[in-house]
Amino acid sequence: MRPFNRETVSYALRDHTADVAVEAAADDLSELFAAVADGLAAAMCESVPEDGGDCFPISVRAESREALLFDYLDQLIYERDVRGVLPVDNRAAVHRDGDEWVVEATARGVPLSAVVAREVKAVTYSEMRVEETADGWEAYVVFDV
Amino acid sequence: MKTREFDGIRLEQVREYVWEIPREGDMRVPARVLASEELLEQIGDDKTLQQLRNATHLPGITKHAICMPDGHQGYGFPVGGVGATDTENGCISPGSVGYDINCGVRMMRTNLTYDDLRGKEEELVDSLFANVPSGLGGGGIVEGDVDTVNEVLARGMDWAMEEGHAVEADLLHCEDEGRRPDADPDAVSQKAKDRGKNQLGSLGSGNHFLEVQRVTDVYRPEVAEAFGMEEDQIVVLIHCGSRGLGHQVCNDYLRRIEKEHGDLLAALPDRELAAAPAGSPLAEDYYGAMCAAINFAWTNRQLIMHRTRRVFERAFGRDWEDMEMHLIYDVAHNIAKKEVHDVDGEERELYVHRKGATRAFPAGRPEVPRAYRDVGQPIIIPGSMGAGSYVLRGGDASMELTFGSTAHGAGRVMSRTQAKKEYWGETVRNDLRDRQKIYVKAQSGATVAEEAPGVYKDVDEVVRVSDELGIGDKVARTFPVCNIKG
Repeated sequence: MRPFNRETVSYALRDHTADVAVEAAADDLSELFAAVADGLAAAMCESVPEDGGDCFPISVRAESREALLFDYLDQLIYERDVRGVLPVDNRAAVHRDGDEWVVEATARGVPLSAVVAREVKAVTYSEMRVEETADGWEAYVVFDV
Repeated sequence: MKTREFDGIRLEQVREYVWEIPREGDMRVPARVLASEELLEQIGDDKTLQQLRNATHLPGITKHAICMPDGHQGYGFPVGGVGATDTENGCISPGSVGYDINCGVRMMRTNLTYDDLRGKEEELVDSLFANVPSGLGGGGIVEGDVDTVNEVLARGMDWAMEEGHAVEADLLHCEDEGRRPDADPDAVSQKAKDRGKNQLGSLGSGNHFLEVQRVTDVYRPEVAEAFGMEEDQIVVLIHCGSRGLGHQVCNDYLRRIEKEHGDLLAALPDRELAAAPAGSPLAEDYYGAMCAAINFAWTNRQLIMHRTRRVFERAFGRDWEDMEMHLIYDVAHNIAKKEVHDVDGEERELYVHRKGATRAFPAGRPEVPRAYRDVGQPIIIPGSMGAGSYVLRGGDASMELTFGSTAHGAGRVMSRTQAKKEYWGETVRNDLRDRQKIYVKAQSGATVAEEAPGVYKDVDEVVRVSDELGIGDKVARTFPVCNIKG
């Protein structure tokens, strides 16, 4: 993994011929999920307003960590289209519940009318990684643009 | 025999422009790349060849997995990929159709000439931008409810005609007359319908656009005449797809496959190739949902085209019928269709997956609209906003070489992140206007930078190879005048 400054940002947008990839690192899974979600917002919008918009909750349950990340990001894209907002300032809490994984999250929904944003069509499984490392957790996700 | 190797993947040249990755290991069939040496260098520069080789693992894949001349890395199946799988013993693969189901292109002709338009470019581009929804959260031409979405999913352009957004001639000049009979709206999730209801009649963003163009060259006059095209004529090209509805259909079924057919998925080298076994309830459901999303996309492009007619009416003070603004054709890029093909002398029904590839049926095929059956299906290949686009016709060699397919565009060579480092949107826009008289208006300067002409392959070379191979024959070339995007 190429380095990025963990002090200020925990994700980076990476090159992909047609689409865009988000690489993220964090101390734990919860921070990792939120960092990838913030990366998704960054892939859509260069300049996110520091305030404005209401927070909304997201709760997703899936059979594995990767599936949970996929469904969580898919849900954020769904909320974007249905609420008409850009989900930013993502907070996430990930835990295991028996055979399943659960994320309880919130996002601040900045009205799309208040930002210049481009569409990310979908999250993909292509090259997806969610891995524990000596320093914490890392993820790599390709989004279809 | 000439050979090339990229990242450990060896290709053997079968004949000019045809390269083969021989079958080895768990590959079910060989893979083929249709490219000149120049295009092959670009195709070999990312993970396209690895993805193409992975696609040969799909159950029931027939003859070859094929990469068109504009191929580039995607996810799962490469963009520019064609793979035909058996409808009895094979599979259907949502991942090999892609997220934007029936992303495609349509072209509308007019009887206006470039001289009629000169001097009105800025007014026209502003008016198109104001009247055709684009970008994120821009809404749609029709603010539908779920009942409307269900009607669109079931009936496609029939619905548009009934609601006054189309005329019968539009349907007669669209693939399948703008309606997939196998569509099953019940197989489309509520979540997908929720996303679609606010986006019906919208361009979206990314590489989607609406472009007013002028015809600069005609290569096959008799075919161009059949398409209603001539030099110096103004035409309109619309590129978009099934919006959030189609994206959600793809993801819904990828996840269902993961849960219900994990064994098949585990045998594939890439999860994004996710496939449902032919004949399974899931395969039937996906086919019904995908066909419904195809109808949604056709209706989406129809609404935008009809709105464009209204914009032209205001700009030129004439009825659209008087300006002869008629649909030439509408082609799908991301699709899997049941088609019958000759495989080693045997007629077989196949799911032909085209992901970033265009159907290119030659003259005589019953699927080609009656208006074009004697000359072959029109194929529209958009270039970048600073380069020409092409209209081709289905070539005689396409059935043998590509399951009746050819390229779909120029194909990217530079990532979006890199493009934003190399280009500044405003500079690109001004250069296009000042140097080439191309007027661009976009929601976001970053989109203009990401879609700068320099990020695409040479569309001339892509089309030349298609023409030389006889899979899609050059008919006419067009050049941008006005371009709007999200």
